[in-house]
Amino acid sequence: MGVKKVGAKPQTLVEKIFFLDFIKGLKTTIKHLWKKVITVDFPYEVVTPPPRFRGVHGLRTVDGTENPEFDSWVKRLKIKPPEPGETRCIACKFCQAACPVPELFDIQSEKLDVPEDHPHYGLKVMTVFNMDLSKCTFCGLCTQACPTDCIIMTDIYDLSSYTRRNWVLDKDMLTQIANEFASRRRDEKFDQHSQWREDQKLWPEYDKTREKLWDFNMPKLGPNYHDQTA
Amino acid sequence: MSWISVEKAKRLEERFGYPKVSQDKSGVVSVEVPKDKFIEFLKFLKEDKEYDFRMFLDLTIIDHGEKEDPRFQGVVILFSPTYQYRIIVKTWALDETLPTLTNLWKGAKWAEREAWDMFGIKFEGHENLVRMLLWETYPYHPLRKDFPLEGIKDTYLPSLNETLRGDSLEGLFNYDRMHTAIPTMEDLEITQKKRMPVKTSQIVLNWGPLHPGTHGTIWFLFDLDGEYVKQCDIIIGQLHRGVEKLGENVNWQQFIPYTDRMDYIAAINENHAYVLAAEKLLGIEIPEKAKWIRTMMAELSRINSHLLWLGTYALDLGALTMFLYTFREREKIMDIIEGISGARFTINYFRIGGVFADLPYGALDAIEHIIKDLPERINDYETLLTRNRIWLSRNKDVCIITEEDVYDYGLTGAVARGSGVPYDIRKIDKYDAYGEVEFDIPVGETGDSYDRYLVRMEEMRQSIRIIQQCVAKLRKMSKNDPYFFQTPDEKKLKVTIDGRGMKLPAGEVYASSDNPRGELGFYIYNKKDGLKAHRMRIRSGAFYNLQVFTKAIIGRPIADAITLLSTIDPVVGETDR
Ligand code: SF4
Ligand code: SF4
Repeated sequence: MGVKKVGAKPQTLVEKIFFLDFIKGLKTTIKHLWKKVITVDFPYEVVTPPPRFRGVHGLRTVDGTENPEFDSWVKRLKIKPPEPGETRCIACKFCQAACPVPELFDIQSEKLDVPEDHPHYGLKVMTVFNMDLSKCTFCGLCTQACPTDCIIMTDIYDLSSYTRRNWVLDKDMLTQIANEFASRRRDEKFDQHSQWREDQKLWPEYDKTREKLWDFNMPKLGPNYHDQTA
Repeated sequence: MSWISVEKAKRLEERFGYPKVSQDKSGVVSVEVPKDKFIEFLKFLKEDKEYDFRMFLDLTIIDHGEKEDPRFQGVVILFSPTYQYRIIVKTWALDETLPTLTNLWKGAKWAEREAWDMFGIKFEGHENLVRMLLWETYPYHPLRKDFPLEGIKDTYLPSLNETLRGDSLEGLFNYDRMHTAIPTMEDLEITQKKRMPVKTSQIVLNWGPLHPGTHGTIWFLFDLDGEYVKQCDIIIGQLHRGVEKLGENVNWQQFIPYTDRMDYIAAINENHAYVLAAEKLLGIEIPEKAKWIRTMMAELSRINSHLLWLGTYALDLGALTMFLYTFREREKIMDIIEGISGARFTINYFRIGGVFADLPYGALDAIEHIIKDLPERINDYETLLTRNRIWLSRNKDVCIITEEDVYDYGLTGAVARGSGVPYDIRKIDKYDAYGEVEFDIPVGETGDSYDRYLVRMEEMRQSIRIIQQCVAKLRKMSKNDPYFFQTPDEKKLKVTIDGRGMKLPAGEVYASSDNPRGELGFYIYNKKDGLKAHRMRIRSGAFYNLQVFTKAIIGRPIADAITLLSTIDPVVGETDR
């Protein structure tokens, strides 16, 4: 078993008399004196969060990128098949079941009020989807539970507000957030059921602000494993 | 696994007759003894050279439910430094009382107070059995099974409620008007008086609870004679959120975000200890790749935590620049963690069964980059501090913690190692990939603040060594290697990343990890297969380490309190849970 002893050596007389300890310390200080500023001037400058960032939630809409099981889930839960542009949520409440604070969700669905001969007779739609983000732990478990990749977490982190009411997001708000996020960062892709794309980068490389934090000496991102490709 | 062998434990059975030895599937060996023989038996375990359970790890209570008789069971976890194994000793707390252990181990003092606070178990012979986390006039014992999760809402507090343009908001948009009790000024005064019943001198100095030097919300009481401390007590609990209670009321994976919020500085290590315990109870072996990723992340988090410690410690002793330097490196580490897991602080990356996602493209390069850079930075810090005469005189021979104290108070982590005890769970339990990596345990010589400082500095270097080995190993793996446990049979054993429908079997387990703040252990007791734990005990390293503060400060000038607290380095989220 490797045990390494560390212990104090007393100051030598030479050190004491010539203030060697202070001089050495000053050397370090002077070395840093000529470095460039590395702080980011928030809010005038912002760092772009990485693709996996867990920020404010959003509800995605149907846009042709649904997973293969989507239709069978819709059928199984007797949901009206959504048109493109409508929400993907099938009101299965899996997100609520996976959440450590389930009471922050309020999800409801309703039967459509249509005559008996209508093709959508007896089918349901999701009508209420409220999330109280003041109770959220931003753990991401809901996104991993969603069978339709509907609920996602976006890169929005500044959700301060003057009233508690503004922390409760409804389905329109959540849909809007997801749509904006998708148009902003579509190619970096978001969480699909925890199956992340293999070339998904640690950080967006187009982000120049982050370089500052790294002393203008950023690591060059390459593959992790020998058989990984970008 | 470091538990006493069943054969050796059975010899206790032969010798005394009354102990009942049992071993769980998870490897835990426990001995049940009758209450009247409890102390005698523990004394034997402590003093007998053949068993030598000198070190106190934890004491807690299990509430078996209102309908059971007897209802409460005391659980003591001990460790033997000579043989490097643990044992659990149990006894029934008949009439809701137990004999005190404080005559054997002084460290049991706070644990007994906590047991009284949370379960209402009286400890006969305890010198001052007051509440630990709640205030003195609080009428309930919250960890009892008949206490509801949301508390008893008996206080009308409309002032917290919000009105918008005259109309009060309801439901999701607002709070209830009835709340659980909160302490008033009188309650706090009573609490303070009870904690230190006899004053020896003129001045009692209150330090905290909201002082920046206390690194959180700790309330210190110093009984001062001039500048010198004669008596000291600590009031904690201002950050108590009932994490243990939550652990008994949420599903298995759902508990991980709550562990993030205990030691928020090293959230990864908190997750680690919990998933280790749950995996052991589940009896699964996680994939190789997950092991190495977890080891690497845990060490990264240790460096992150030690950098914060160094920065604030130096800041408290007047070296402001240090804080800025360490936060620069910390920022980079947090950047990497954020890229990998999606969060900087409350990370929730580990899962029971592995991790929730593989490393993203470029993660290993970024980690290699930082560990190439770090040794030079650490040398920079050391040139500023280690030989500095002010630093030496503020730290050398200040507040010595002896080896005896380590065993008595159950001190772990850098505090134990600073006192010369090479106690390191990474070496003892060899969890995840720690059995396969090479590293040394740094130990101090005298146990003063300076040694604790040196030990932590060296620990950072050793962590870099471990990360290097992890990166090299991970480089050789394939992208297709699994990072999460794949169950052979979904019907028999279901392990899910999102935690829905996941059950853990009946049994008990104690597993721990070496946190930057000491040994963080989870004792899980499960009555039957279930979605939730019956008892979730968290053995907090910071809690026990903080306890020694009250002893080590005696006879020292008040200025040393800052040094001592910084070198013990507790995080209030973890002491209070
Ligand atoms: S992020 Fe976590 S806490 Fe927030 S809604 Fe999703 S599951 Fe619940
Ligand atoms: S899990 Fe997805 S589909 Fe189901 S209710 Fe939640 S958001 Fe809608």
